[in-house]
Amino acid sequence: MAIAKAERLMNLALCLLGTRRPLSKRELRGSIEAYLEAGTDDSFNRMFERDKDDLRELGLVIETVESLDGEVGYLARRDSNRLPPITLDAEEAAALGLAAKVWQQARLAGAASGALQKLRAAGLPEDVDPYETHGALEPRIPVHEAAFEPLMLACRDRRPVVFDYRKATAVRPETRHVEPWALECWRGHWYLAGFDRDRGAERVFRLSRITGRVRSRGTGFTAPVPDVVTVRETVAGWAGEITDRSARIRLRTGAGYPLRAKATAVRELGDGWDELDIPYGHGLDAWLVEFGPDVVVLEPDELRADVVERLRAVAKG
Amino acid sequence: MAGKPVRPTSAIDQTRRMLSLVTYLRERPGARVEDVARAFGITEDELVSDLDVLPMCGTSFRGGDLLDIDTDGERIWWHNPAALGAEAAEPLRLAADEATALLVAARAVATLPGLRESDRQALLRATAKVEAAAGEAAGASSRLSVTFESEGGVFADVDRAISERRRLWIRYYSPARDEVTEREIDPIRLVSVGHTYVEAWCRRSEARRTFRLDRVAEIKILDEPSAPPEMELRDLSQALVQPAAEDPEVVVEVGPGGRWVAEYYPHDSADELPDGGLRITLRTPDPASLRRLALRLGGDGRIVAPRELATSAQRAAREALAAYDGIGAAGNTGDRAVPDARSAHAVHDGRYDRQEQGL
Repeated sequence: MAIAKAERLMNLALCLLGTRRPLSKRELRGSIEAYLEAGTDDSFNRMFERDKDDLRELGLVIETVESLDGEVGYLARRDSNRLPPITLDAEEAAALGLAAKVWQQARLAGAASGALQKLRAAGLPEDVDPYETHGALEPRIPVHEAAFEPLMLACRDRRPVVFDYRKATAVRPETRHVEPWALECWRGHWYLAGFDRDRGAERVFRLSRITGRVRSRGTGFTAPVPDVVTVRETVAGWAGEITDRSARIRLRTGAGYPLRAKATAVRELGDGWDELDIPYGHGLDAWLVEFGPDVVVLEPDELRADVVERLRAVAKG
Repeated sequence: MAGKPVRPTSAIDQTRRMLSLVTYLRERPGARVEDVARAFGITEDELVSDLDVLPMCGTSFRGGDLLDIDTDGERIWWHNPAALGAEAAEPLRLAADEATALLVAARAVATLPGLRESDRQALLRATAKVEAAAGEAAGASSRLSVTFESEGGVFADVDRAISERRRLWIRYYSPARDEVTEREIDPIRLVSVGHTYVEAWCRRSEARRTFRLDRVAEIKILDEPSAPPEMELRDLSQALVQPAAEDPEVVVEVGPGGRWVAEYYPHDSADELPDGGLRITLRTPDPASLRRLALRLGGDGRIVAPRELATSAQRAAREALAAYDGIGAAGNTGDRAVPDARSAHAVHDGRYDRQEQGL
């Protein structure tokens, strides 16, 4: 029967951690049953390379040392693999427990649990059960976008990527070459900020508009990565939340609560209508049209014209 | 249960867990299966399957130094802890992904305006300690960030009502009807998925409802005790809104400028149209509530069915236009807003509306 991969990885990890001198591939093959059963040298070599990568993925620092006679040896030194001393009290442990379960993405959920388990092994207090509901709050980080994981890895490793991206209103997707800097989740949606090679400038992309696969490009970054990447400001601009202009509208009494909540001034007109001053950012025309006959735009003219044009399109049927 | 983490099942996850387990068990001879499973956030079955693998592991399968770990189902015994040198069982440093996953989540939770101050302080202290212990591995965590949205004052009141088991009075905005209604609710829990919601028993509709905190116009904690009926908590993680099969069907055809509808409204199907648009079929208990969508779409789309919905949007638009007669706005098209902006406010109004539509 084939030996489970977790068993093989565990054995390799224990061998590399337990040795004081570099072990050659030959020695490792002799010590680990799964490698003896691997068959040809080729298949053993492939398996061994993959396993080393997997162990590095879970945090093991594996050194490669070449001996005088040219043979390559491997070891995981204690100094470079030991968790520095860390002492957390019960409250801090409970708070981390809450944080560790917010991911809804398998890879990050697994990594967060793994981190907590390492801390647990290092003596993280257990008095409070972190997996019990903490207060009444259940925060969740949603990750529905398939592009998330490859982009997360590309940001981590600073690897350029290529993907097809359909802008909100575009008929067809367009291929974009991007040096990915950072991912940010805002209002439940993920966005990527990076350097767009085709446009030669910083751009923000919404992950749900990426179509097809995200492919890696082996070459390095060509543009400097800024110290602070601001995704949210860009997205807030799209959402019409950054504005220094104001509009004046009439709103039917009792209607349009969200407009009232955003208004900087409300005047009761007394005839079943109120007059409001509201911030005028991108997309306000479309939002106002939703309220149909309960809203009349007074100024500016440009906004009134946009609203009227939209209403006409609907009235035409 | 909804509160459990997503189950890691990969060989990498299991390996990392077993490495920590070895360190943990070494310090605790005779540890109870139940306690260890709880400390590791796994089921007892998962723990037992790890314990089945560990006796096959060691530094050499020939040398007879395999880990002699076994369990009687209740306690776990390790008969040869010396098989691993003292050093080989030391706690391992955090990997970059581990540090990122934990730190990004911790920073995100710390942004919740309604978090209890003592919890926030504990979290900030813990975050700083983990950052220090992770060292270089913490570096990449700045490339990922998450902000939760919630209305601080409302959140604090709901949180308090839940812990004191008291009833709430709220004025709540329902976008589907564009109206604010008063209701009394018995809060059950707070859920943050992008926006923050309170799940509660609504005494007015005598049903379980989900209320988005940024739509609560006013809130008061009442003296009456909260008494929600016993019910099973649903897993709200995938979608807060699950249209029912018996809900009426709505068909919308949009041009390229209306493709955002498919991003914001849960739908049954979205078929490509030759002009780059989509034909979207969705279900809602109350099609009339989609009048706002029809109006918002303007020239970017139209309601194909039901007919009454299309007609009512048309009527509303004509009525609205009548108010501009004589103001003289006709014909001036002005500058168009950036395309992305058109979908912007749907962020607030589309995706999670089933509960409110049902009210």
